Amino acid sequence: MRKSTENSNKETFLKKGLQSNIAKHHKTYLGTNVPEGYFAKSKISILEKIKEEQQVVEVPKKQKVFWLQPKFRYMAAASVVFLLSLTIWLQNVKSNTEESQVNVELLSFNEDVLLDVLLIDDTQMNAFAEATLINEVVIKAELSEQNLDNLILDSMISEDSLLDDYLGNELIENIIL
Amino acid sequence: MSKDAELVKKLQSSMLKDKAFSELLDAYQERLYWHIRKIVVTHENADDVLQNTFIRVYKSINKFEGKSALHTWMYRIAYNESMRFLEKNKKKSYDNIDEISSNHLEVLFEDEYFDGDEIQKKLHKIIEGLKEKQRRVFQMKYFDDLSFRQISDILSVSESTLKSTYYTVVKIIEEKIFL
Repeated sequence: MRKSTENSNKETFLKKGLQSNIAKHHKTYLGTNVPEGYFAKSKISILEKIKEEQQVVEVPKKQKVFWLQPKFRYMAAASVVFLLSLTIWLQNVKSNTEESQVNVELLSFNEDVLLDVLLIDDTQMNAFAEATLINEVVIKAELSEQNLDNLILDSMISEDSLLDDYLGNELIENIIL
Repeated sequence: MSKDAELVKKLQSSMLKDKAFSELLDAYQERLYWHIRKIVVTHENADDVLQNTFIRVYKSINKFEGKSALHTWMYRIAYNESMRFLEKNKKKSYDNIDEISSNHLEVLFEDEYFDGDEIQKKLHKIIEGLKEKQRRVFQMKYFDDLSFRQISDILSVSESTLKSTYYTVVKIIEEKIFL
């Protein structure tokens, strides 16, 4: 008898709940409840919180640490690019300066030579000119004169021998013929 | 057009959103509260999680595409918010799962808004002794009166698995409650 009552209790315990409303259900089977008028107050509270949230959305977001801000990141990237381009530019400027330094050195060397020339003594200049004249002009002139003489002599000798040969041949031919 | 579909339409219109949201609260606030309460145990915790749930619903309603029913979508948000709350508190207070379980019961029985008798306490103890998934399925089906289809959408578990889980749990409870 007792067992059959227990069995019917078991069956009804779970079935009863399905027919009642949720709050009652929880109260009856779980012993949980809520403060009086909770749901009405909670509704107001949720609506207020949503209003607050909306206002928070409208206010600009809390700023991050300054180096994490996107603006700063762009600035940092721009600075790096600027520094790199500055380094490259400075290197180019340096090499150009070196080239121009070489040119300046060359120019100053030329100027030095010209100035040195102006400062040479007349006697030294005359001696240089004489030496140059003797080496370049007189010796060359003598050599060319000798060559000319040799040429004339050669031609005279060869002409004589040819003439002799010719005359000899002509005479023989004329006499014999 | 169903009542929920109409409500969604209004919620997604900027002109009617606030009024529609008030209607949404009237329709679902209590159901979601009890769903949350069973997970987070105390009234105070349930109140916090309920607020967070509705704020999330308000913010995300424009992303709702109607792939599932509105109430299923809201239950899923409430479930996720509750689990997030527990996870956050677990990190703060407890070292292991047994500690959480026994602590849940202690906290519940000491809660100002719990006045259960011995048999109700026993039911809580039995439910707390179930596996996490079994507990959620039983609570959603039995106390929240959700269909297996709805629970399947919320927990992403097949209906057949849910049915077998639920009937196993019912059997366990029936056997243990009058021992």
